[in-house]
Amino acid sequence: MTFIEYKALSPAQKAQYKIKEFFSQLPSKLGSFFGAIGKFFKNLVLGIVAGFKGFGSRFASGDMATKLSYIVMGFGNFTRGQVGKGLAFLAAEILYIIYMVNFGLVYLSKFNTLGTLETGQQEDPVTGRIVNVQGDNSMLILLYGTMSILITFLFIGIYVANTKSAYSAEQSLKAGKKNPTLKEELKDFLDGKYHVTMLSVPVVLISVFTVLPLAFMILIAFTNYDANHTPPGKLFTWVGLDTFRDVFEASEGASKSYTFVQLTKWTIVWAIFATFSNYIVGIILALMINKKSIKFKTLWRTLFVLTIAVPQFVSLLLMNQMLQDDGVVNLILSYMHLPTVSFFNGTALTARITVIVINMWVGVPYTILQTSGILMNIPEDLYESARIDGATPVVQFFQITLPYMLFVTTPYLIQTFVGNINNFSVIYLLTSGGPSKNPNLYQAGETDLLVTWLFKLTMSSNDYNTAAAVGILVFIVCATLSLITFNMSKSSRNEEEFS
Amino acid sequence: MIKSYKLSRMISDIVIYVILAILGIIWVSPLIWLVLHSFRAEGGITVPYIFPKQYTLENYKKLFTDTSVFDYPRWFLNTFVVAVFSCIISTLTVMMVSYAFSRLRFKSRKTFINIGMVLGMFPGFMTMIALYYLLKAMNLTQTLPALVICYSAGAGLNFAISKGFFDTIPRALDEAATIDGATRNQIFWKIILPMSKPIIVYTILTSFVAPWCDFILVKIIMGDNRDNYTVALGLQRMTDREYKQGYFKQFLAGSVIVAIPITILFLKMQNYYVEGVTAGGVKG
Amino acid sequence: MNKTKRFCAIALAAMMAVTAFSGCGGTDTTSSGSASTTPADGTVSVEGGDNEDPLYGEGANGTISLKVWGPDAAQDLLKEQCAAFIEDMKPYGDIEIEVIPQGEADAANLVTTDASAAADVFGFACDQLDKLVSSGNLLKVATAEKETITAENSESSVKAATYGDDLYAYPETGDNSYVLFYDKRVVSDEDAQTLEATLAACKEQNKQFVMDAGNGFYACLFAFTGGLEVNGLDADGVQQFNDYDEAKVVKSLMAFQDLLGQYSDIFVNGETTKVVDGFLSGSVGAGIDGSWNFASAKDALGDDVGFAELPTIDIDGEATPIVNMFGYKLIGVNSSTQYPSTSVALAMYLTSEECQIQRAEQLNWGPSNKVAAEQDVVTSDAALSAVIAQSEHSVAQVGVSDKFWDPMKVLGNRVVEFDDPFTEESAKEILDQTIANIKG
Repeated sequence: MTFIEYKALSPAQKAQYKIKEFFSQLPSKLGSFFGAIGKFFKNLVLGIVAGFKGFGSRFASGDMATKLSYIVMGFGNFTRGQVGKGLAFLAAEILYIIYMVNFGLVYLSKFNTLGTLETGQQEDPVTGRIVNVQGDNSMLILLYGTMSILITFLFIGIYVANTKSAYSAEQSLKAGKKNPTLKEELKDFLDGKYHVTMLSVPVVLISVFTVLPLAFMILIAFTNYDANHTPPGKLFTWVGLDTFRDVFEASEGASKSYTFVQLTKWTIVWAIFATFSNYIVGIILALMINKKSIKFKTLWRTLFVLTIAVPQFVSLLLMNQMLQDDGVVNLILSYMHLPTVSFFNGTALTARITVIVINMWVGVPYTILQTSGILMNIPEDLYESARIDGATPVVQFFQITLPYMLFVTTPYLIQTFVGNINNFSVIYLLTSGGPSKNPNLYQAGETDLLVTWLFKLTMSSNDYNTAAAVGILVFIVCATLSLITFNMSKSSRNEEEFS
Repeated sequence: MIKSYKLSRMISDIVIYVILAILGIIWVSPLIWLVLHSFRAEGGITVPYIFPKQYTLENYKKLFTDTSVFDYPRWFLNTFVVAVFSCIISTLTVMMVSYAFSRLRFKSRKTFINIGMVLGMFPGFMTMIALYYLLKAMNLTQTLPALVICYSAGAGLNFAISKGFFDTIPRALDEAATIDGATRNQIFWKIILPMSKPIIVYTILTSFVAPWCDFILVKIIMGDNRDNYTVALGLQRMTDREYKQGYFKQFLAGSVIVAIPITILFLKMQNYYVEGVTAGGVKG
Repeated sequence: MNKTKRFCAIALAAMMAVTAFSGCGGTDTTSSGSASTTPADGTVSVEGGDNEDPLYGEGANGTISLKVWGPDAAQDLLKEQCAAFIEDMKPYGDIEIEVIPQGEADAANLVTTDASAAADVFGFACDQLDKLVSSGNLLKVATAEKETITAENSESSVKAATYGDDLYAYPETGDNSYVLFYDKRVVSDEDAQTLEATLAACKEQNKQFVMDAGNGFYACLFAFTGGLEVNGLDADGVQQFNDYDEAKVVKSLMAFQDLLGQYSDIFVNGETTKVVDGFLSGSVGAGIDGSWNFASAKDALGDDVGFAELPTIDIDGEATPIVNMFGYKLIGVNSSTQYPSTSVALAMYLTSEECQIQRAEQLNWGPSNKVAAEQDVVTSDAALSAVIAQSEHSVAQVGVSDKFWDPMKVLGNRVVEFDDPFTEESAKEILDQTIANIKG
């Protein structure tokens, strides 16, 4: 159904169509999503298998130089005119060995226990001094162990590539061809293999500074790294899924599971309201500013855009100050003889409404900027015909503008939604999660989102494992949502037309 | 008939003006409050009235002269240097990744895109302690390069919008160039980049602003080395319980000074921002 | 002269007590002799038995370089004191000390994040002790120093530095707590005796009364006044309480709600910074604020500022003193320091009587040292004597679990929720929940 066909439906039919479409597609979307994930892992395994395929047969059928490069990497290439490549392989091998011997092995060998020797202090009976006996540091073992494992994987990849390269160099010489020199191969990196050139640096950076810490964090969820097991004084160790059980298992009083459920509910409510309030108000304002008959467009736009330019933490801290019980806002209210409002210390509801409204102050200018362009692109004849039918601007908005925008910007909306689930700064700087009214919440207040809760868990109560587990759960939800929408979106589908 | 149409149109315009004016005031009033009170002479953190009674430049002067506890000028310079470097690296990385994903076809491209999409969704500060010890292993903790690395290393993940933008550039251009014997490297530098001014400006803008806003990561990386703080952390420090009483007005003044360059930059580049983000991201 | 005499007496008494109790014959206690040959502060002379070198040979291998953390406000004095220490230690080795400003609240976080980049000797607030000890970042205090410290400092300050049976830090101040701050033009010294009169006086001139009920450190006074006390942690780190009378605690909670509720128009539940801020702008008559704001309150009001121990509150017709939580600032030695003995000597010096008196004089910090606490500079200062008076009815901030603060905050917020008055049942219920959640 195109948009024009869709437009022809009556509002009731539209709603029906949307709902039906959503639910009819949901199973297939989810299905194809998990299918895709399954495929991903299948491909991963197949890829690895393919990488090793011929590993043995190459050894068996290769000549002496090829066989030797199974031990001395790059030997095959080196002896067959590819000096640079051979040296590069050799360098990789030497670097890996140096790394492992000097650094990696120490940590890797303790990776399964995360350390056994606890740090302790003893008083020397002769001198009367305290001697600090440094034990194992579980955290460093976990971190550097993970690093060593990733480096080892990388090395295995290079190693297999080395055997392949040695073998193919041998084969092409046999076939009477000349092997490409380093210069020729490098030249190919500017054209045929340009993606390698473009991606290698970012991929390395991301692997080291994003993937590795992420892997470390995920692993922590499977340990007992909490306030009672803080390195370097104490050891922590693997506990399997215990942490996740704590998060899900219901218990009395202020439990992690109760808090998790409550915060999940509020996080979802928050994400919905924060997303749509910004979206709708932003669109309405953008429409008003862009209306043909309205003058001083730049002025209006600038007024709103100014707020983007002030660093967010400043404007939020400022808002926090202004909305205090004795802040400017209440001052103005009392000047106008209106009752004052306890924005952050009052009820949970007041505080929640306050953060949603303030979030509009923060977010609406972005929506104005981002949607202005599309709003201008709405076919004018749609409005024209509506006007002839005598539709008021309000009706026009709900019948034309909003449906059109929703139709075009769904992926953007989902992204914003995911962004709001992880919206740390607004909540943290405005309320720090407060007010604290509910005695059954564990280390959390009424406006805490899951993401601010896990910040508190790491920073104040040192429940690293719980925080990591909650982080993983939030991550799974966000990742699923965005992968589905991205892969369903027009841009993802359309791009295949190019290839 | 036409008269009433005109009339109703006028009324609706007036209503819109009123709404825009009121909302505009609501939107800028906190900023006006910020500027006014940064010149306030009397009182401490807040005063029980709206407009300051006395104005002074003292708060600004102190910011630049009284540097024993809060060395604002130095932190400003630090932030500027970090912002410039991380902005250059980030923009380059983002462009490279987006180009590869948009224009080049290679094995497991889709997988890379999907992984890239979701990697950035893990709550970032959870990984900070790991980041700290990685940087420590490289002997970089408490230094400015560490910050540049942190702000720009993950930049490659923010390819979505610029990839969307590149997707809208017709492929025929590349093909024509290829026929003329251009390598992909040449196509990237000579054809795609010159056509992508809006998205480049957008990327520069967002990556330049980031270091001015983050204080959580800096706090962990810099530890007790105050010389290498950035303004964001410095300003945040001024609102800590220990200093708030004495430094809040300087905090306001410091915030105004940070906001000025960013505001100018933003207002100048606004149009590119709009163009870039509309073409690349929102339309999906 | 008088001072040194008194010190020698205490030191001797300590020595005797030690030998008597431990029967440790191996230690050669020629204390009077060594006290006369070693520097004036004396503390370093008492330790270490037959070893005369307070640095235990660390000075033999070149220059010793140490890093010290202290809050911004104390920088100048801390530098002077470190310089004096370097001078004193000249005969034993060359020492270099880098003094870096670092607030006490953040110190523990920085040390636990990366001990090797942290200071060798650092000041911190006693609520961070558990965290630092359980992460193994504090160097235990050796027996010799422990005896000196125990003898010289107030019992509760030593308790605040103790974890299990071991002493882990050196008491630096005995004043990390809060008292009543008031504007004498609004609240007379006599009014400040009772909470009822204080509030009435504020109301009369339409001035606010500020208290941070949304912060466990202050909010706990609602329950403590009714007799609740923390009583250390058990082996699993679970908070223990005394054998309190539940009915009395409930009555206390209700009395506070009732009284503050009557003045809900002038009662402000907000950050303590609002007290001094309100003094400056003239909107606040009185408030509960911490000792670290003494100086800024004096700056704000000059001679009109008043400090007093927390007033009494009428519970069941009986004027009951408000009981609060009393903390201490401690100095710790980083367990991963390269120079443990020098660091220990420095920590001992910084917490000595001499240094504590200097801090009282220059920074208005109340001493934990018993001799220092009796000095004129302390007893004649209204603020410091208010804190010391308050310490008489307070619960020491010792062995307080990390999980204590959040539930207490909820309780505090509940007490000042005047629209929803307590019944005996609801007060009891929230108390039970609070206790259960702290034990968590």
